[in-house]
Amino acid sequence: MNHKTAPLEIREKLSLSCWSNLNPLSELMKIPQVKEAMYLSTCNRVEVLADTTDTADAVANFRSFIFNHGNLSPEEMEKCLYVYSDLEAVKHLFRVSSSLDSLVMGEPQILGQVKDAYHRAMENKSTGMVLNKLLHQAFQVAKRVRTETAIANNAVSVSYAAVELAKKIFGNLQGKTVLLVGAGEMAELAARHLINQGIGRFLIANRTYARALELADAFQGKALEFNDLPQGLGDADIVISSTGATGYIITKEMVAKTLHGRKNRLLFLIDIAVPRDIEPEAGEIDNAFLYNVDDLQEVVDENLQGRRQEAEKAEAIVEEEVAKCRTWINSLQVVPTIVSLREKVEGIIKSELDKSASWMGALDADTRKNVEIMASSIVNKIIHYPIASLKEESQDDGLAPYLVVVRRLFKLDQG
Amino acid sequence: MDILFFKIALVAYFLSTVGYAVSLVVKKVLAARVSMWILCAAFLIQTLAFGARCIETGRSPILGIYDALGLIAWIMTGTYLAFQLKTKTRILGAFVSPVAFLLMIVASVRLGNDVAIPAVLQSSLVPVHIILAVAGEALFALASCAGAMYLVQDKLIKNKKGRSFSRLLPSLRDLDRINHLCLLSGFPLLTLGVLVGSVWARTAWGSNWQWDPKQLWTLMAWFLYALLLHQRLAIGWRGHKTAWFSILAFIFLLFCVIASRFTTSLHSFV
Repeated sequence: MNHKTAPLEIREKLSLSCWSNLNPLSELMKIPQVKEAMYLSTCNRVEVLADTTDTADAVANFRSFIFNHGNLSPEEMEKCLYVYSDLEAVKHLFRVSSSLDSLVMGEPQILGQVKDAYHRAMENKSTGMVLNKLLHQAFQVAKRVRTETAIANNAVSVSYAAVELAKKIFGNLQGKTVLLVGAGEMAELAARHLINQGIGRFLIANRTYARALELADAFQGKALEFNDLPQGLGDADIVISSTGATGYIITKEMVAKTLHGRKNRLLFLIDIAVPRDIEPEAGEIDNAFLYNVDDLQEVVDENLQGRRQEAEKAEAIVEEEVAKCRTWINSLQVVPTIVSLREKVEGIIKSELDKSASWMGALDADTRKNVEIMASSIVNKIIHYPIASLKEESQDDGLAPYLVVVRRLFKLDQG
Repeated sequence: MDILFFKIALVAYFLSTVGYAVSLVVKKVLAARVSMWILCAAFLIQTLAFGARCIETGRSPILGIYDALGLIAWIMTGTYLAFQLKTKTRILGAFVSPVAFLLMIVASVRLGNDVAIPAVLQSSLVPVHIILAVAGEALFALASCAGAMYLVQDKLIKNKKGRSFSRLLPSLRDLDRINHLCLLSGFPLLTLGVLVGSVWARTAWGSNWQWDPKQLWTLMAWFLYALLLHQRLAIGWRGHKTAWFSILAFIFLLFCVIASRFTTSLHSFV
């Protein structure tokens, strides 16, 4: 299940109970049809990836596994769960690891989470040839998507968009001074983003001085009296305003004056308050740049749009990789049939030779040897064509009926 | 030998121009990175060409107007490469490399037919004068390039438009700094060049100042740049205004060069 199919409460239930439970992997491996298994649980999805001997039975068991652990009603579960098998499952795995299936498409955490889940599965020795191969390919797909498309390039949150814009203006933000006007939650959030960029100094101006002091403590900044705002403007490179005031707190005139006083050092004004704090005309002044919430939201929307376009490229990459995988999976399916076909005919040769032992005993050793060779070469010639055709068919999709026919014709499944 | 080097350098400038164009179209950093190294090679090979010319002729490699163009290309490229080391201004290469390539094409006209030097120019001061003045002008050209990019970027950020293109351009601060440093280093070079010229003029023409049109025009351009630097350093002009001013000043400088070619001047030799 993931964020598209299951509401948060259900995902919560499941991931919580799985934490308390000792080891979902060992539980999964107890299911008889499971050969290999991996368990992925993040805040947006709970998934089981497994190689099984019998898909239908295994899926039924997985359902009861999730049923037992998640305390879910069958109806809830029916709605929330999705099942993919064969190539669909491969595709899903590739899409998940390359973050195409994420809530915020292109977010980077999911690949790490898949890797963690895989390592946990390896530690529990629940992976084998199939999962190893698939997961490694999934990591490569994710890497290709990351390097060949721009899916993860642009900011998709308002505060991150503000940081990106600031970088377009100042290059890097190291040593820059930020002035927070108003000490609301939004201001705090934006400030946290900026701290990660190596901002040099925080100034905080707030109507209630006590709250300014509080925030100044949190960010190791300096609290200003609200009346000292003009002076703070003069020192700041980036101003984030988010007060609840009804009128403009920072006017065009103030900005013009402060720019003059600071020898036109660039000033980036971010107005995240509604109603607005900064007079819109302030953005017309040379060397001052003003963005309000709507402007930033527009940047975000545009970036999301860009991501969707990139996602199409990424989907093409996934399809390409799935196609590569298909050949390999098909060959996995055809090998057991070929092996049992060979075993079958070798059994026939052996039993026929045993039957003929009485009259063959009359022959001398050389002739007997020749007869044996001839018998096996006739049989091998005969089964050569079916085997060759099977291998050929394994290169595309039409394999399954051939496998059925061969197993039927040679009665491979009966003793 | 110098001609061979010159031709190789020309080809390298061409390749890097193509490379930068490709990098802009496909928006791949790798293409720009490769182009940067090709440009670097072009710069070094052109340096060799200058050196070889110097050794073969035993004179300054910069004699006529065509050599001066080659020198402008060389200085612009060298300065850009130096900035590339310090700041992330890869995109500037896409502006510099085609300009350098075009200058080199024009400069290639002189290949094979060496100009005869008038007797009056047979002084060691002349090449110094030319090199300093041309170097100053090349840096001013680069300053106006950065200024133009600044204005584009400034407009994009102010209008909240064209973000995919804005992302390609360097940050405002970097562009402003390039503009500033180019002006700051170009100005003394031009000043020195003019002074050396006037010292030589005394020996050749008998007086430091001739009221020659080319001298007058250049002096006016010099005053313009002096004013710009003053505004920048003393008054605190920055960003938008300086970008405009440096572009206008450079257009004026270009105009002077062209105008003085169409007037009869003591100063036209080749």
